[in-house]
Amino acid sequence: MIPDVAQLIERLNELGYIVEEELATVLLLALKLEKPLLLEGPPGVGKTEAAHILASHLDTELIRLQCYEGLDVNTAIYEWNYQKQLLSIKINEHADLSAREKEEQIFGEEYLLKRPLLQAITAIEKPPVLLIDEVDRADEEFEAFLLELLSAFQITIPEMGTIKAQHRPIVVLTSNRTRELSDALKRRCLYHWITYPNFDKEIRIVRKRFPEINEEIARQLVAFVEELRKMNLQKSPGIAETLDWIQSLLALQTDTFSAEYIEKTLGCVLKSDHDIHAVKNQGVEQILEEIKS
Amino acid sequence: MPLFHFTNHDSYDEAITGFADYCREHELAVGLSHTQEALLAAQSGFANDLATLKYTLRALFCTCEEENPAFDKCFDVYWGKRKHEYAHKINNQSRSNVTKKANASLVMMGFNPNGKETEKEEEAKNITGSSRIESLKKTDFSKVAAIDSPLLDEVAEKLLRQLNHRLKRKLESTKKGKVDIRKTIRNNLSNGDALIELSRRNRKLEKYRLILLLDVSGSMDKYSFFLLKFIWSLKSNLKNIEAFVFSSKLIRITELLHQHQLDETLWQMSHQTDNWSSGTKIGECLQEFNQQYAKRILNGKSITIVLSDGLDNGDADLLGKELHKIKLRTSKLIWLNPLKGMQGYQPIAKGMQAALPEVDQFASAHNLESLLQLENMLAHV
Repeated sequence: MIPDVAQLIERLNELGYIVEEELATVLLLALKLEKPLLLEGPPGVGKTEAAHILASHLDTELIRLQCYEGLDVNTAIYEWNYQKQLLSIKINEHADLSAREKEEQIFGEEYLLKRPLLQAITAIEKPPVLLIDEVDRADEEFEAFLLELLSAFQITIPEMGTIKAQHRPIVVLTSNRTRELSDALKRRCLYHWITYPNFDKEIRIVRKRFPEINEEIARQLVAFVEELRKMNLQKSPGIAETLDWIQSLLALQTDTFSAEYIEKTLGCVLKSDHDIHAVKNQGVEQILEEIKS
Repeated sequence: MPLFHFTNHDSYDEAITGFADYCREHELAVGLSHTQEALLAAQSGFANDLATLKYTLRALFCTCEEENPAFDKCFDVYWGKRKHEYAHKINNQSRSNVTKKANASLVMMGFNPNGKETEKEEEAKNITGSSRIESLKKTDFSKVAAIDSPLLDEVAEKLLRQLNHRLKRKLESTKKGKVDIRKTIRNNLSNGDALIELSRRNRKLEKYRLILLLDVSGSMDKYSFFLLKFIWSLKSNLKNIEAFVFSSKLIRITELLHQHQLDETLWQMSHQTDNWSSGTKIGECLQEFNQQYAKRILNGKSITIVLSDGLDNGDADLLGKELHKIKLRTSKLIWLNPLKGMQGYQPIAKGMQAALPEVDQFASAHNLESLLQLENMLAHV
C-alpha cells in the first residue's frame, strides 16, 4: 500500500465509510487522473455511498443525476423556464424595447432552469462530484450523449452558446448491471466492481454505524445474512439490508437473535415473497444452527 | 528492488507498455489511451507498491467483472516473482493447448473453427473477443457439447439482452409529442391570451404484439429447450407477448412465463403439459388456436412466429388452411425452422410444403445467430 492510499482509507474511515484498499486506490486514481469512475455491483453494496463520501472528503458539492428509462436531455441538462419567459413578454409588452432586446432578455441566464449536468459544468468555486446513478437504466441514446459530455465537459445551448466547464467535475457513474453498458462509455471510465463485503468488513461497518449493538448478536446476524447471500435468491440482501435489520433489533430492544425473531422480521432483509418462502421452507432454525456450529 | 525487476524490462514505462501488449495478447481490450494513463499513474506514485499497481492497472484495463480473472492471471505471470525467462513461453504453450482442446471439441461438433469460410465471417463481425464464443454463436443447438452448454447460456443471455433492448424500442415508440396548438389554445382560454400550459400531442403508441407458437414434439427435442429459453427471455423483456406450445395439443404458456426463474417455469410447464416429446398434429393445434385465441389475440399489429420443423403426422391440408386463417388476421407470419440450418435441407416434408405458400418469411432457427436475425425481420413490419 502506498502512503497516499493509507491516508485516504483513514480519512474515509473518519467520515464513517469503511473502504478496502482496492477501492481506495481506485478512488485516488480517479482523482489523480481526472477520469470518470464506473462502479458496478449488486444493489446495496455502497456504490452511491462511495460518491457521497468522496464529496464530503473533498468538502465539495455533490450533484446527483438519477437515471431512469426515458430520461431525456431536458431533464438532465437544462430547460427554459417557459412560464417565466411568457410572463416577461407580457410584462414588457408595452415597454420601449426592440424585439432583439426582448429576445436577449428572455434567453438570459435567469430564465434557464439548470438540471444536474449543467449544474456540474457551471460550478464556480471548486470541482463538484457528479454522481450519475444507475446509468444502466437510462436509454442508450442518453449514454451516447454522456460520452460527449464526459470527453469534452462542455454543453452547447443554441440560444446562449457553448458553456465550458471551469473545473472538471469528478464523475462517478454507478450501474446495477441490468443491461450491459456500451464499450465506448466503459472505455472512458475507470472500472471497479464492488461486491458484497466479507464477514470482518461487514462487522466493522455494523459497529461503526451502531456502536451500541451487542457484539455476539451482530456476529450472528451478519453470518446469517452471509448465509442468505449464498442461497439462490431473487434479490440478495445488501449492506443496507443488514443495517436495516440491526436497526429493527435495536428498535424492538431484543437481546436474543432467535429463530422466532428472525421469522418475524425477515421482511427487513428479504424483499420478495418468493424469497421469504424459500428461506422459511429451508428452515430458519437450521440455518441458525449451521452458523452457530 | 523496483517492481519491474522481474519483467525483464529496464524501466516502469517499458514494463507497463509491455504489460499492455501482454494483456492485449490475452484478449483484454486495452487501448493506447489506457496505456498512456497507466504510465501517468505510475509516474504519480501508483507503481511503488505491487498491490496498488495491480488495483490501478485493473481499474484501467478491465471493463467488466468477467475480465478480472483473466487480468489477474496476466498480472501475476507478468509481474510475479516466480517469473523467469521462460515463463512467457510456457504460458503461451499451455494456452495453445487449451485452444487446441477447444478447437477439437468444435471439430467434433461438426464445425471447424479454422475453416476458411468461418474465419472470413469472424473477421467481418468482431475484432476482439474469443473465437470460441463466435463459433458457439454459429453452432447448431443440437450439436452443442455438454461442456460448452454453460458458456452458450452465458453468451445467449448477453446477446438476447441486447436484442431485447433494441426490440423494445422498435415495438413501442415513446417519443414525446409535438405541441398541439389547437388543444393548447383551448386549455389556456382561462389565462387570457397567454399560453401558459402547453398541451402536447403524443404520437399514437404503436404496440406490436408477438405471438409465438413453439413445437415441442419429439422431432424438435434437441431444439425445443433452447427455443423455449429464447421465448422466456423475450417474455421477460417485452410485455406484449403471447406464447403457446404444441405437439398433439395446444397449450397456452403465457402465464407460466411470468415466473422469475426459468427453472421454475420449466418445472411448472412439465406438470401442465403432458404432451412434451410426443407426436405432432400441427394442423389441429393451429385450428384450436384459431378457434380459441385468434380472435382475441391477433390483430393488425401482431406478428405471429411459428417455431417448428414442419414434420407433421396430421392433416397437411388442414395445416395450410389454418395457417391461411392466421395470416389473414396477423400483419406478418414468420416460420422459423431449425432444420433449415442443415446443409442441403429442402422443405419437402408434407407439412412444410403446405405451410410455405402462406408464410411471409421462412428462416432458420438452429443457432444463436439465426435467432438474432429475428431483429431484422421485426424491423421491417
